[in-house]
Amino acid sequence: MRAKPDVIRKCLWPACLVGLFVTGLVSPDCNLLNTHLSRVSWQNLRLLSRMSSSFPVECLRESKAFELPQEILSYTRPLKRDIQEAFYEMSIQAFNIFTRDTFRSTWEEKLLRQVQMGLDQQLQFLEQCLHEEEEENEDVEDMEEAGRKRSGAAVPALRSLELRRYFNRIDKFLKDKEHSRCAWEIVRVEIRRCFYFFQKLTALLRRK
Amino acid sequence: MLAFLGATTLMLVAGAPWVLPAGGTDLRSPENVTVSITDDNFTLKWDSSSESVRNVTFSADYQITGMDNWIKLPGCQYITSTECNFSSVKLKSVYEKIKLRIRAEKGNSTSPWFEVDPFIPFQEAQIGPPDVHLEAEDKAIKISLSPPGTKKSVMWAMDSSSFVYSLVIWKNSSRLEERTKTVYPRDKIHKLSPETTYCLKVKARLRSPRKDGFYSPVYCIKTTAKHQLPSPENVEINAENQVYVLKWNYTYENMTFQAQWLHAFLKKIPGDHSDKWKQIPNCENVRTPRCVFPQSVFPKGIYFIRVQASNGNNASLWSEEKKFNTEMQTILLPPVVNMRPINNASLRVCISAPTESENNSVNQLYPLIYEVIFRENTSNTERKVLEKRTDFTFPNLKPLTVYCVKARALIENDKWNKSSVFSDTVCEKTKPGSTSKASLIAGICAAVLFIPVVIYGVKFLWQCISYVFFPSSKPPSTLDECFSEQPLKNLLLSTSEEQTERCFIIENTNSVTIMEENDQIDEDHRKYSSQTSRDSGVYSNEDENSGCKIGEDESQLAGVFKLDS
Repeated sequence: MRAKPDVIRKCLWPACLVGLFVTGLVSPDCNLLNTHLSRVSWQNLRLLSRMSSSFPVECLRESKAFELPQEILSYTRPLKRDIQEAFYEMSIQAFNIFTRDTFRSTWEEKLLRQVQMGLDQQLQFLEQCLHEEEEENEDVEDMEEAGRKRSGAAVPALRSLELRRYFNRIDKFLKDKEHSRCAWEIVRVEIRRCFYFFQKLTALLRRK
Repeated sequence: MLAFLGATTLMLVAGAPWVLPAGGTDLRSPENVTVSITDDNFTLKWDSSSESVRNVTFSADYQITGMDNWIKLPGCQYITSTECNFSSVKLKSVYEKIKLRIRAEKGNSTSPWFEVDPFIPFQEAQIGPPDVHLEAEDKAIKISLSPPGTKKSVMWAMDSSSFVYSLVIWKNSSRLEERTKTVYPRDKIHKLSPETTYCLKVKARLRSPRKDGFYSPVYCIKTTAKHQLPSPENVEINAENQVYVLKWNYTYENMTFQAQWLHAFLKKIPGDHSDKWKQIPNCENVRTPRCVFPQSVFPKGIYFIRVQASNGNNASLWSEEKKFNTEMQTILLPPVVNMRPINNASLRVCISAPTESENNSVNQLYPLIYEVIFRENTSNTERKVLEKRTDFTFPNLKPLTVYCVKARALIENDKWNKSSVFSDTVCEKTKPGSTSKASLIAGICAAVLFIPVVIYGVKFLWQCISYVFFPSSKPPSTLDECFSEQPLKNLLLSTSEEQTERCFIIENTNSVTIMEENDQIDEDHRKYSSQTSRDSGVYSNEDENSGCKIGEDESQLAGVFKLDS
């Protein structure tokens, strides 16, 4: 019984070394883009804050808990690529929400445009990064096959689904409230929270 | 009585099949039940497992996980065929798991329910073909795509702007020259030949989660005859000192041009945005193929720019839309190259971004590829290497040779092909080869290991030699009294020859003489010898080998001077 922990300890140390080494090898090539990405997403965060001078007090009673799925981190230790994919999903859903035609002059057009452009830029960065990896890793045929069938990898699909459900709740809320000014304000604050969460996530990643 | 009983049992037994409740052995549940979803079309398919299909109908229910009740599946009640369409089901959310069950019915009897594995509709859904509209120009085809599903699609409600469209186009005459392109919902395919029939098909796909759609049917269209006025080409925009300079090429003189811009993100959103193009100030009705405008016109972001030529009456078609990212340095600065020689006759090359950069802190949005030219200083043959990494090594070079390297940065993607000028040439000499180095190290190691061995060996040898040839003249302390005058001869050599010593009698009769010793003065030894000299006892060398033959006069003591040492 005593021999086992010793053996484990003996194997753990080289295993750790190998693990560190491997993660060093496997890290994606778009480190430059990651720095730009975090800069752009911080800017977007600030833009979202600046859209309104202050949150209208009367809208507080309409606020709703959308339950940002923070547990997406806790399923397994996420790979850099999984985080990027989750970031992409989040960014494109935020983009979809902010590019609808139903703003009804809630905000100044100039500010809205800035937010829209900022989100687009963030997406471009992410697309570039993910596109690179697609080219490296997969054949086009494999991708088509995998795309049509049910997603084989359970965990990334689960994360993507959780994010979708979250944005679906936001979407429903907007529709139910008929895109009122209060509804938009609440959604703006919620998406800002979401951005902040992802920023922390990617900062954690970069420190790895 | 007994007979009556017997008859009834017989009847009961015989009549049992008729009396048994329905749903027993007759009807079996359907098998091989599959669900297929394309956009908002939900289809349930199955196989009937009973031999006779007459009068057999099927019904299905559904249940949203978390709820207790089963709801009748609309469009799938009492179906006579083996598939049904339940697209009219009003699902609250396509991201929640649902369960289905189906059974066969015949008259009053039903089969047991067959339950389908729970599934999430969004995950099972496949992307259908997009809607395609085409408009031909002389050297381009305008495409208008609508996302898969309807506008009120429930499945793709959150993805209308997320679809990426892949288009395959070829000349009707030769299928071999296929081109695949990623296009926006409203886009133009350029670089085509006039008056040629082209055929194309499009599919939509999602990036997250990865989903590939079905291709649309093939559409063919013929490009028009060559337009009177060609469109401007090679539209370029460069940043210079707080202004942007927009340039293009045009074949004819005396034309007026105008340039327009559009927010790039609008291209992603399906729909017509042709009314959203805006004029670029200072670029309306210019006579030269270039215009300059302040940088404040374009706040930070990504834009599309297009140019049109006109000569009063006629206007050309719009040029290709040039994507312009304000963050992007349109002029690539050459990289900074550093080279260092490392062991094993290799050179390590480090490429870094240029230190100076204009007001943008961001130089590269898109990953750069470096074209590295590597050659020996003395030769002219160059080796060209394309590297993505900024830190790499050229191994296995000739030792003690000078090599020179220079590099330039490249960007390659769909929209443009840009390269910087070459950096300065850096030359370095390689270190000596690994063999001499390795053997040197090996030699040092060997020496370090062998030195103690050698030392011990030498020491041992010296001990042997000194023991043989140069014996210690100091006798063992216990034998001192006996052999003090005589050198102790080695047993080894003593057998070979007889030792003699020249002895001289100096005094006799009871005189005390002091014996002199060559070697070490020993207090006890002197005392002892002086004592014994008084004795008349024989102070003789009993060792015959010492060979100092004393005379027969035993009483006399002789001071012996050792003559030889």
